[in-house]
Amino acid sequence: MLLPALLILAAISLFPFFYIVWMSFHEVSLIGGVSFEWVGLENWTELFTDPNVRSSWIVSGVYFVATVGLEMVLGIIIALLVHELIWGKNLILSMLLLPMFVAPVIVGLLGRFLVDSTYGLYAWFLERTGLITWEILGSKGSALAAVVLMDVWEWTPLVTLIVLAGLASMPQAVLEAARVDGANYLQRLRHIVAPLISGVVVVALLIRSMDAIRYYDIISITTNGGPADATKVIPIRLYETAFRFQELGYAAAIGLGMLAFSILVANLFMRILKRQGLAR
Amino acid sequence: MKGLGRQAILYAVTAVVLLWTLVPLVWMVLSSFKTPNDLVSSTPRLFFAPTFQNYVGLFTGGNALGGYIKNSLLAAGASTIIAVALGCLAGYGLARSRFRGKDHISMWIISTRMAPIAAVILPLYAVFRALDLLNTTPGLVVAYLTFNLPFAIWIMNAFFADLPPALEEAAMVDGATRFGAFWRIALPLTAPGIVTTGILCLVFSWNDYAFAQSFAGPGSQTLPVAASQLITQTGINWGQLMAIGTIVVLPMIVVGLAVRRYLVKGLTLGAVTGE
Repeated sequence: MLLPALLILAAISLFPFFYIVWMSFHEVSLIGGVSFEWVGLENWTELFTDPNVRSSWIVSGVYFVATVGLEMVLGIIIALLVHELIWGKNLILSMLLLPMFVAPVIVGLLGRFLVDSTYGLYAWFLERTGLITWEILGSKGSALAAVVLMDVWEWTPLVTLIVLAGLASMPQAVLEAARVDGANYLQRLRHIVAPLISGVVVVALLIRSMDAIRYYDIISITTNGGPADATKVIPIRLYETAFRFQELGYAAAIGLGMLAFSILVANLFMRILKRQGLAR
Repeated sequence: MKGLGRQAILYAVTAVVLLWTLVPLVWMVLSSFKTPNDLVSSTPRLFFAPTFQNYVGLFTGGNALGGYIKNSLLAAGASTIIAVALGCLAGYGLARSRFRGKDHISMWIISTRMAPIAAVILPLYAVFRALDLLNTTPGLVVAYLTFNLPFAIWIMNAFFADLPPALEEAAMVDGATRFGAFWRIALPLTAPGIVTTGILCLVFSWNDYAFAQSFAGPGSQTLPVAASQLITQTGINWGQLMAIGTIVVLPMIVVGLAVRRYLVKGLTLGAVTGE
């Protein structure tokens, strides 16, 4: 029963994997079919010395910490909030989840619309209040902040949803006992709730981590890496290297660098599953 | 009790969170019904005479949206059906068997699901070019399978693992084959899991932009690509763009919320079970 699926999976995952490894040791040309020229470790040495790639890793790092960090903090706070609500909890949760279903590219386009200096609702508001009077996507700092917030808008609900599941499965008796013993909300949060939900929080963190490096639709449709490389995360750099500068071999080396990161995350994820006895 | 004041504060904060969440979506839908004049007005207009001209414009003319919708449905639908069918089989196989190297197989499957899209596009682009799969819907279906298939195997494995094997064992004692036990017993019992897996596969592939933008040509372009094409050198037709956005988003919201109970399990790859 396993065989058909695994054979197809091998064809669409292992084959491209070996192909990209192969590419990374060659200069690849797409002119008139695909042709390879062996260059040994050239792409790999470039990967570790290229200042552009290094700066993209830094941008990726900042983007990663900002998006995943904000999503975790806000997601947990919102989950704690919704968990305490009495009326309309289901309806409110459903409304909070909506951004998750929006195609990332639409999130980017919608974000672009909202901060457009002529058409944008948010741009209008920020200008009226005097907070931001310049072109938001045209300036380094505000452009990076904008693409981070678009991702935060879309994916905070996922963290909320996961943490809420953890909160809902807490044994009520323990919480009740602490309440009876006079522990206030913050004490209960720190000594009872936090240890009980730490497992799901880690899962949320890993799920978000892998997706944060996986997707680049929002940045690609809003700033495409600009202004002045301020939002040029690694996947955007890879795409540009491959399809604009036609350096496919070098792009392959960059891609394998990204892949190493996601395999690391996948590894951690497997370990968590095992510890919870979920990987059977 | 003092609970009432506390609840009032909680609901006030919730209202702020809801505003942050919903304003962009409501504004998108409203804007899709605005004339260019209403869109560009110096103070944003909440009340205006609605028009369907953006939607009419999208569905008429040489580059009508109907073709894109068809391409989107075909690519997302086919990859979903293939992924779920194979995912059920393999997920069941994985859940009910013990063999050496199973951990490695699991690790391989999950890594495939997590592989960065840009790093997958690159080798696939070269391979598709050699195989003449660029600009075709089957090419997109294969591309979507790179994330949908491992996802479906993994999630169905989690759903089947939750099922006590005793029922199937009883059926097999009564003479059913392994496949018969799977087909008549396990499969019907995991119906919600199958629906959830299918819907999530559909959402992932319907919402894809990166693959479609790299692999699809005039004959296979999908809705998200159509949306991006409204950004031109000469300007952006925001009214039509918001209309496409509405068309892309609404169906996914409807199907997504339909399986809300199982979303946690699906989106955490089976690591967390909800409700």
